[in-house]
Amino acid sequence: MSSTRASLAAARRAETNRPNTGSSVGSVIIRIVIIAIALIFSLFPVIWIISAALNPAGSMVSQTLIPQNIQSVDDLLVNFNRLFNDPQVPFWRWISNSILVAATSTILIVLITALTAYSFSRFRFIGRRSLLLGILIIQVFPNILAMVAIYLMLLQLGKYIPLFSLNSLGSLILAYVGGGMGINIWLMKGFFDTIPRDIDESAMVDGATHWQTFWQLIFPLVQPILAVVGVLSFVGTINEFLLARIILTDRENWTLMVGLFNFVEAEFTDDWGVFAAGALIAAAPIVAVYIVLQRYIVGGLTVGAVKG
Amino acid sequence: MSTAAAEAGSPGGLPAALPNFALRLILIAIADAFALLLGVSLINDGNVFLGATILVTALLLTIVNILPNLWPLRWMTPALALIALLVIYPFGYTFYIAFTNYSDGHRYARAEALQLMSREKYLPEGEASYSWEIFRNEAGEYALWLSNENETLFATTTTITLVETAGEIPESYEGYTLLTGGERFRALGDVQGAAFGDPNNPVGVASRSAAGTFRQRWVWDESRGVLMDMENNIPYRADDTTGSFVAPNGSTAPLGYWVPVGLNNFARIFSDSLIAGPLVRIFLWTVAFAFFSVFTSFVVGLFMAIVLNRSFPGVRVVRSLLIIPYAVPGMISILIWRGMLNPNLGVIATNIENIFGWSPPFLTDPGWAKFSVLLVNLWLSYPYFMLICSGALQAIPSAIYEAAEVDGANARQKFFGLTLPLLLVSVGPLLIASFTYNFNNFLLIEALTRGGPAMAGTSAPPVGHTDNLISYVFRFAFGAGGSRDYGFASAIAIIIFVLVGLLTIIQFRFSKRLEEIGENV
Repeated sequence: MSSTRASLAAARRAETNRPNTGSSVGSVIIRIVIIAIALIFSLFPVIWIISAALNPAGSMVSQTLIPQNIQSVDDLLVNFNRLFNDPQVPFWRWISNSILVAATSTILIVLITALTAYSFSRFRFIGRRSLLLGILIIQVFPNILAMVAIYLMLLQLGKYIPLFSLNSLGSLILAYVGGGMGINIWLMKGFFDTIPRDIDESAMVDGATHWQTFWQLIFPLVQPILAVVGVLSFVGTINEFLLARIILTDRENWTLMVGLFNFVEAEFTDDWGVFAAGALIAAAPIVAVYIVLQRYIVGGLTVGAVKG
Repeated sequence: MSTAAAEAGSPGGLPAALPNFALRLILIAIADAFALLLGVSLINDGNVFLGATILVTALLLTIVNILPNLWPLRWMTPALALIALLVIYPFGYTFYIAFTNYSDGHRYARAEALQLMSREKYLPEGEASYSWEIFRNEAGEYALWLSNENETLFATTTTITLVETAGEIPESYEGYTLLTGGERFRALGDVQGAAFGDPNNPVGVASRSAAGTFRQRWVWDESRGVLMDMENNIPYRADDTTGSFVAPNGSTAPLGYWVPVGLNNFARIFSDSLIAGPLVRIFLWTVAFAFFSVFTSFVVGLFMAIVLNRSFPGVRVVRSLLIIPYAVPGMISILIWRGMLNPNLGVIATNIENIFGWSPPFLTDPGWAKFSVLLVNLWLSYPYFMLICSGALQAIPSAIYEAAEVDGANARQKFFGLTLPLLLVSVGPLLIASFTYNFNNFLLIEALTRGGPAMAGTSAPPVGHTDNLISYVFRFAFGAGGSRDYGFASAIAIIIFVLVGLLTIIQFRFSKRLEEIGENV
């Protein structure tokens, strides 16, 4: 982590100091052309979906880049109104399901992995090495490989604990938290290791227990990694699709991604505008989070390589 | 967790604070009682593996929380419980299921299947315990008036009560009205097979005049290993090699149970030509897809990182804009692309059509569908490599370039001789991680093409040209249009498991992560 940030800082410095060598007119034009192509490639779908969301006609075939026949602001909001008023598309319900699942999973993942990572980082005990190695090996296998077993487990478990039955958000949270242990324990431990042990030791000399040391001293110091793990877990669980699709069967219980997928399966080309409106509302906050927290996410990605 | 800390001041010694110790014991006892109840119930119902896993996990965690020497592990109690239950058990169970015929027709353990079938009731023919009349209330619910020489009963769909004042049948009773003539005849169709009275001991209409008590249809005889169909008086022998109850004429009972079938699922991969052929193609496509995805996004990402590696006005804005595709939730951007690539109405196809008079059948032709999948994945993931490569490029000391220039190296030599090798050292492990991710990329395939277009010559669940191994597993286990074959799906999952393991070994050779374990703090 720290090395990543150091290198990013170096990058920023180098960016401003590096002499602008070889800037002949030709190479400048080539660079501008390349950047223009990249921008068009990357941003066209984004612009197109914004345009589709604002296009009152709403169907795919009638869409133009600049929406036509706009008389008033209401015309721009036609698709949004249809989205919110369609009983077949409980959009806000999907969003609140997604946020509930992602927020609960994230909080649990951060707390549980922080405790575990602190113990791995600070204490020496029999089996520590094997446990760390075991967790490292486990985390390379994505838990969707065990989708069948997870499904059957929840099927069996749900008969006794309704909270963890199929088609419940609780079981989805359970699956996400369980799958979020391995890599995040490693991410956290790596950061905990960079906090000098002297801090712990001086606190212990002053009579603090391990718990007090952890909760009052170390926990505030490791906030950057808590943010990284938190943001990656949140975005990861919001975006997760396979387990959510297997576990959640009722329309009311779907997460946003399952809901949008099924919406598209059912009525795509005619309700393209409604889909676009939903996509816009769903994507905007996450894109905003990315841009604001870019630094943390880039740092976390170079360590964890979660997406991509 | 606070209890763990109370003792931490004196590791190895007796607990420092007795009340905390007592509190911890109480918490452990509650958790264990819960785990014991759950585990034993699961085992009783035939789900031995899950029950045993829960019991063993509870036992180990109890030991961890009681033995003073193991106090550092107490901090990990929730993590270890979750890993045991949601990582180790599912992987272990996947291996087990792969050697069973767990599937739609064989969904339950034998004990569970028997229990479920024991609920089925039938009305013996000629059963005439009572004569009946039918009543109906405002809500359209029926009720039966049952009488024989001994007693008169009134049975709604949920209750049965003794009628004290026997004799004449009343016109109405407790809000229900007597039906006669044609109405009675029509109601007969509605109540045929319906259960009245106490749900545990229901009564039903057996014929036009007689009613009787339902009997249990399937009765299991443990000593003979035979399931009797009491209605038709046919013995169904439990066949533990196929997991079915088989009648002498070869027909099977409605529910089967899963049994170990050895290597059958793996043998099917090779012996069944409807599986073997498509599977080879799917495997090759999975590898090709993962490789070309990583290759194209790395090349484009590196290229853009180099282009943006110079300072010019607005470089930060450009970089932030280029990252946007990476920030949009994958599902949403893939569905947007699915719309844009729609062969008939999508913006890309219609514009190409307008210019050239012909447009590629993006998602409907096997080749073009594969191209589309790779194009969308390039769009999704090149910003990631652009970010990574930007950082890595900056980390290369400029002094070595100066040294190379002194030696007369040209730009091309500098790139291939210095930049690329140095970059691969730091980015290499991430390339392999990305390969592994794309190897198991379900989201892109499912959301963009659903695996389609369909492949000819495949077996029950339809598979398509862009299906990869993980979506192939999904189709067998959960897909529409096929029976849910968990056993076979798990066998394929194990193959993926092995492949991912091999990839990881290669990755570990690149990276130094393993060495971190040995390091102190």
